[in-house]
Amino acid sequence: MSFIKNAQTLVRENIREYGMFIALFIIMATFTVTTNGIFISSRNIVNLVNQTGYIAVLAVGMTLVIVIRHIDLSVGFLAGFLGAVAAIALVSWHLPVYAAIMVVLVLGILAGLLTSFLVAQMGIPSFVATLAGWLGYRGAIQLITRSTGTIIIPNAAFNAIGNGFIPDIPDFGILPGIHKITLILGFLGIILYVTNEIANRRKMKSYEFEVMSFEMFALKLVFVSGLIGGIAWLLAGYQGLSWTAVVVLVVVIIYNFITTKTVLGRHIYAVGGNPEAAELSGISVKRLTHVVFGSMGMLSALSGILFASRLQSATTMAGTLFELDAIAAAFVGGVSAAGGVGKVTGAIIGALVMTSLTSGMNLMGIDISYQYIVRAIVLAAAVIFDVATRNTGK
Amino acid sequence: MKTTADTTPIVEMRNIKKNFGAVQALRGVDLALHANEVIGLMGDNAAGKSTLMKVLSGAYIPDGGEILIDGKKAHVNNPMDARRMGIEMVYQDYALANNLDVAANVFLGREAVRVKLGPIGVMDNRHMEQETKHLLNRLKIDISSVRLKVERLSGGQRQAVAIARATAFNAKVIIMDEPTAALSVAAIDKVLDLVRELKSQGSSIIIISHRLEDIYQVSDRMIVLRHGRKVSDTPVVGDIHEFREQVVAYMVGARDDFSEEEVA
Repeated sequence: MSFIKNAQTLVRENIREYGMFIALFIIMATFTVTTNGIFISSRNIVNLVNQTGYIAVLAVGMTLVIVIRHIDLSVGFLAGFLGAVAAIALVSWHLPVYAAIMVVLVLGILAGLLTSFLVAQMGIPSFVATLAGWLGYRGAIQLITRSTGTIIIPNAAFNAIGNGFIPDIPDFGILPGIHKITLILGFLGIILYVTNEIANRRKMKSYEFEVMSFEMFALKLVFVSGLIGGIAWLLAGYQGLSWTAVVVLVVVIIYNFITTKTVLGRHIYAVGGNPEAAELSGISVKRLTHVVFGSMGMLSALSGILFASRLQSATTMAGTLFELDAIAAAFVGGVSAAGGVGKVTGAIIGALVMTSLTSGMNLMGIDISYQYIVRAIVLAAAVIFDVATRNTGK
Repeated sequence: MKTTADTTPIVEMRNIKKNFGAVQALRGVDLALHANEVIGLMGDNAAGKSTLMKVLSGAYIPDGGEILIDGKKAHVNNPMDARRMGIEMVYQDYALANNLDVAANVFLGREAVRVKLGPIGVMDNRHMEQETKHLLNRLKIDISSVRLKVERLSGGQRQAVAIARATAFNAKVIIMDEPTAALSVAAIDKVLDLVRELKSQGSSIIIISHRLEDIYQVSDRMIVLRHGRKVSDTPVVGDIHEFREQVVAYMVGARDDFSEEEVA
């Protein structure tokens, strides 16, 4: 059967890309069985998405940092610190929500540029520079919350970012209790995806570039459409698309566009693949280091906002271990420690894998100590998978 | 042999000097490359071959001397300047990003842009892929798809991509630093064929090589450097054995055609 053969070669050639989808699918299926379906319930999936949000945005930034062969350990406490700044801006400075968010995002960019100054200008290894950041921001967050302790944020608009849902059209008889706007958005997403893929394939063919066989193409369309539809249906079954999910989607769409379609994105990957070659081609490695760490700082700020909003407060311990979750998510999502390889969309899947593990094991009531060990095994397995497919990936 | 003496050289380097601390890497070297000429640049290790070419390609700033392009004085301060003036260098280790595909490497640093959104340019991938395809066809380079990642290519294919990349933007001069080092015999022949193909299409080329056979096969003229000075600048004639003896004599210092000019 040529169809099965096609499918086999397709999977073999793209094993690195499909591996994490397969892993996510297995993890979700396993938890669905072990929790008697609670895991896959609308309510839990909505929660899962909201919990993934603040790690997912960090993982997106971290992916690019690792792609250019650096690491950023400071992002966790930077997120916590900037979340606390947001809380203070709202509570003590009485800034409006949008102003507080802008201030914090700008601070995030500045923090990122401070890191890149140390790394690119002073030539300090990013591991050390950001370890210093880890310590410094940890101190900073304790300093600004010392007099108050946990800062409660009494701002409904701000808290909606981490807890609220997009509005829905009023119920008019059909599909009661189902979030209709979410379904419509899911439907639009499918249409957009399918038409885009078909147009792409047609163009590729007209330019005589190789395309996958029609059966595989159709199967891919059905599969991805089903995935989008399924997720939309699940979300619609509870309260619909959360604002956190919207934020993450916007971040992913923008970053995916930049990394795959723009000169900037191409240069980021070139620097990751061969910094000397990039420099000789007239690409400024320093400039890109500033851009990537600046973006990481901004996404740390966003993560801090999402987390503070979700807890409706800023705590002294906010951001603890976020950096390791983000790094783990990036690696599970297919980023390579050697640099130059890794997709933004993979980071999201990686983040979903890591939060699914936590969520599923919590639902099963597994002891926290075992949870850490299981996550360690998954992270190690992801990197082993990366190395193994890299060597045989001829 | 064609006569080149009466035409303006496409590139001329005059009295180039370069010191690294107390070490005089180049002590006043002249080099003239004429249109559609292939020069073989030879010399022992540390003779100054690579340094001279790095000066021409903008990687080093010389301490003395001048560079003329088409008879006009040129200021080459960095590799991008050199590129803008049509001087392309193919580096010894190919200088390719292995994680990117062939088309991405050919256009690296010079991506075709479809739309500009502020500082961010949206790439025109289709244009770049088609141009790359045409380029590979024109140079008879055998690579099945321009979308193959470079890490999947053989050493010879990588060198071919590196050379193709140097020729993609109508370069006046292509400098190749040891293009056949670390290649199999079959791959070497392919690279030499590629050099001949480029010459037949009008390119002007300088090749640095340790392999005398390579220089002998493709070069019109050979220049030998020794201790930062030019000791020979002669057409490649005679059979390979004569050529080899001649080159070795220059390289070890037994012969020197420019010993008096050094004083001036």
